[in-house]
Amino acid sequence: MQQVLSSSGGNASRFSVRKEQAIKTVFFVTAFFAVIVITFILLFLIRDAYPIFEQTGVLDFLFGMSWTPTAVVPSYGIFPLIVGTLLVTIGSMIFAVPLSIGCAIYISELASPRVKKILKPAVELLAGIPSVVYGFFGLIVLTNFIRITFDIPTGETWLAASVLLGIMALPTIISISEDAISSVPREYKEGSLAIGATRWQTISRVIVPAALSGIAAAIILGIGRAIGETMAVMMVAGNAAIIPDPIWNILSPLRTLTATLGIEMGEVSVGSEHYSALFGVAVVLLVITLIINLSAVAILRHLREGRTKGLAGKPFISPVIKEFLARFAKVLGIALVLIFLLLAAPLWCAALFLPAVGVWYFFRERLSQKQIEKIAFGLIIGATVIVLAILVIILQDIIINGLPALSWEFLTQPPRDLGRAGGIFPAIVGTLYLVAGAILIALPLGVGAAVYLVEYTREGRITRLIRTGVDLLNGTPSIVFGLFGFAFMVLFLNFGVSMIAGQITLALMVLPTVIRTTEESLKSIPQSLREGSLALGATRWQTISKVVLPPAVPGIVTGAILSIGRAAGETAPIMFTAVVFSSRFLPDSIFEPVMALPYHLFILATNIPGASTNKYGTALVLLIMVVGFYSVAILVRTHFQNTMRG
Amino acid sequence: MNTMNIKKRSHLFLTISLVAVLIASIAVAGCTGNGTKTPGATPAPTAPPTVLVTPQAPAPVSATTPVSSGQKQTIRISGSTTVLPIVQKAADQYMSAHPEADIQISGGGSGVGIQAIGAKTVDMGMSSREVTKDEMTKYPSFVVTTVAQDGIAVIVNPKNTIQYITLDQIKDIYLGKITKWTEITGAEVPGTNNQIVIVGRDSASGTRTYFDETVLSKATPAKMMLEKNSNGAIAQTIAQTPGAIGYVSIGFVSKDVKALPIWYNAQKIVAPGISTVKDKTYPVSRDLYVITNGQPSGLAGDFIKYILGPDGQKIVLDEGYVTLNAS
Repeated sequence: MQQVLSSSGGNASRFSVRKEQAIKTVFFVTAFFAVIVITFILLFLIRDAYPIFEQTGVLDFLFGMSWTPTAVVPSYGIFPLIVGTLLVTIGSMIFAVPLSIGCAIYISELASPRVKKILKPAVELLAGIPSVVYGFFGLIVLTNFIRITFDIPTGETWLAASVLLGIMALPTIISISEDAISSVPREYKEGSLAIGATRWQTISRVIVPAALSGIAAAIILGIGRAIGETMAVMMVAGNAAIIPDPIWNILSPLRTLTATLGIEMGEVSVGSEHYSALFGVAVVLLVITLIINLSAVAILRHLREGRTKGLAGKPFISPVIKEFLARFAKVLGIALVLIFLLLAAPLWCAALFLPAVGVWYFFRERLSQKQIEKIAFGLIIGATVIVLAILVIILQDIIINGLPALSWEFLTQPPRDLGRAGGIFPAIVGTLYLVAGAILIALPLGVGAAVYLVEYTREGRITRLIRTGVDLLNGTPSIVFGLFGFAFMVLFLNFGVSMIAGQITLALMVLPTVIRTTEESLKSIPQSLREGSLALGATRWQTISKVVLPPAVPGIVTGAILSIGRAAGETAPIMFTAVVFSSRFLPDSIFEPVMALPYHLFILATNIPGASTNKYGTALVLLIMVVGFYSVAILVRTHFQNTMRG
Repeated sequence: MNTMNIKKRSHLFLTISLVAVLIASIAVAGCTGNGTKTPGATPAPTAPPTVLVTPQAPAPVSATTPVSSGQKQTIRISGSTTVLPIVQKAADQYMSAHPEADIQISGGGSGVGIQAIGAKTVDMGMSSREVTKDEMTKYPSFVVTTVAQDGIAVIVNPKNTIQYITLDQIKDIYLGKITKWTEITGAEVPGTNNQIVIVGRDSASGTRTYFDETVLSKATPAKMMLEKNSNGAIAQTIAQTPGAIGYVSIGFVSKDVKALPIWYNAQKIVAPGISTVKDKTYPVSRDLYVITNGQPSGLAGDFIKYILGPDGQKIVLDEGYVTLNAS
């Protein structure tokens, strides 16, 4: 064996060393790409925003109280927009976090395997519903409900936006927390149950604390989703550029940074002050998401280090950790209550909340552990039922209204009479083109980056930089990608509104998903396989290409499909870069624009009166398509898990 | 085993380098090509040739067009979503008469349209607002053609019993001086606390600019105003909010909303409608434009002629807009 190896070495070895180096460099470049892109986006946005900073001054821009860009004396103060963004996000988390964690606990700890098998994909389907669809549901059903329930002049409020964004953030938080809870070692649970703790005590004192860093990550990603959402929030928040008065008035309309971009970007005169101000808004939005992401990364690292240190001492929950967690939970609890009272709760809400806490403390001493468990499980099941009910309500609304539109003609003909009649064939094909192009660009870059991160380096400053870049890219709102695509590819590179501009924009957007999922699946390949391969004399590249990558393919495919699903449902990134409303022919070059389903739906619903049937039909087709992609991803994953076990 | 290794290795290597070349070529094409007319400069990486089921009419039957038959001709149009329905429908009809013509229309907004025609990434721009002085100076070759007129109707929810409104009342409502419906009509609006919900367009919109200038005498509307980015969104909100008031293109007035006539005096009450906009008795109306670089010629010129001609103007009418006085 050794002889074979040495004979294959010798002369060839210098070549192969150089080749190994070259391969490593290629991977490094792909990995560094994320960092370059995020820096470039920021710089490019600042370039276009600079005139407004220079003119009004950064402080006046940030803290100005009035946003009236078209007044005789225009004023560009975005403070109300910043406050609006923060309030909506906080509200959505107050709504989403308890529901999601309850639901995640139910799925991972309480549900029977068969229920789990249905529930988990069902929750993931919620993530597959495109945001335009959420927006119309919110505008037509939710705002009306709020208006009538609270007897207020208009239902387009902070509350509506928060509830809708909360719903949209649910699947993200649920699936990631569920993963975190499920990955808590079984010994913890068994140990706790063995010493006589009830199931609820085990869940609340052992399992959830052990999964805390994962849950925190889930919440932060949920915040990212909520803060960057454009199309849905734009339709239900009312968009009045005011700070609610008083500040906790959740029934006041407000406007977010993203909505400002979504509604004003299209009409603004390019190169004007107003245009520059919108880029200023984008810069601020990007900086806010960067801050949230960076602090999230810091918090997670802190938590993780704390835990590993603790675990090194004792296999079970150590006192150090316990103390830390207790302190963390207490601070978090107090902070939440304070935020709740200060911001979100009108008086009646506080009046309900405080006695509830009092009652809880009063009864906690008197109730047996069994009774407490019953109450807790009741709440958890309640949360799950609410989540499922939301899913059912949205789906049935779209299916019932959309089904009559579906026909062979609808699927195979181009639109006629402005989309009121005819079909959506070019939009279906256009969407497929867009996502295919996006994934073709994102997949090699993403897989390369993941291979570099997992296989070629040890954790260090560079990987941390790259990971941060990827995280930041992941947190970047889709409307910011759209703006960047418009300013850079459509205008600066002079692509014009074209398929390629949309494909690249979408590719940048889904790149982090591809990197993440590939990384995960590479990490799940046992280290011993690599060691075995290297010990047999294979080079690093041989090990990667022959030993590590093949079993990771299902994971990579899942990531790719999830990305396709995400890209297919997005409106904001392609709205200014790639789409036409109607086209009889299919594009025959990548420099031509295409039709796309989400945009078609958006225009039908907002600009074409009397297209109601086809609007719901388009929504249904888009939903089926996106959900179809997700289902394939879920199937691939389940199949993979089964074969792994078998 | 070794040769197999190398084979496979080179295969993978090939794939990676191919992708790299692809990306590079896209970048290069982007830097050099002008974006509009580079057919086949880069092979579309996505398009499998098998999906070419485009419903192409069998034989070109055009005799009257200046466009040479057989050769597929493409023009691109982009801009205002208010003008889009007219141009889109005209394009659909024009294209069924001229199978060789391919007219691609995208929305985006007046600003996007003007920018795109300025940068020559499209052949025609659509705008619902006038081209600003700055834009005119920047692009002196612009030729602006009016294709239709549009009245802006003030609409309320059908539950509201109000019959008509004066321009001053509209102004006071939008400036936040009148906040209750009872201050105007004395009558309650059922199902509400009579609070007026003001709904308007986003500040970049051509409709908003026009409304603020003509009705509000350039004053800034109250901050409480809900902002919507399309006519359809405003109509939707008004239709489901009993206390709301808004303004839309008259093409968007339907049975779900009530368009208010303007009250001057007992003798003169003008309802928004095609005839009143046309004879200029309805005070809130404006023009819709298409913009070309230089005098329109070729397919673009022929298409504009078509919109201005009887068939095109019939579409204008069908879509609820107002035809030009000349026709």
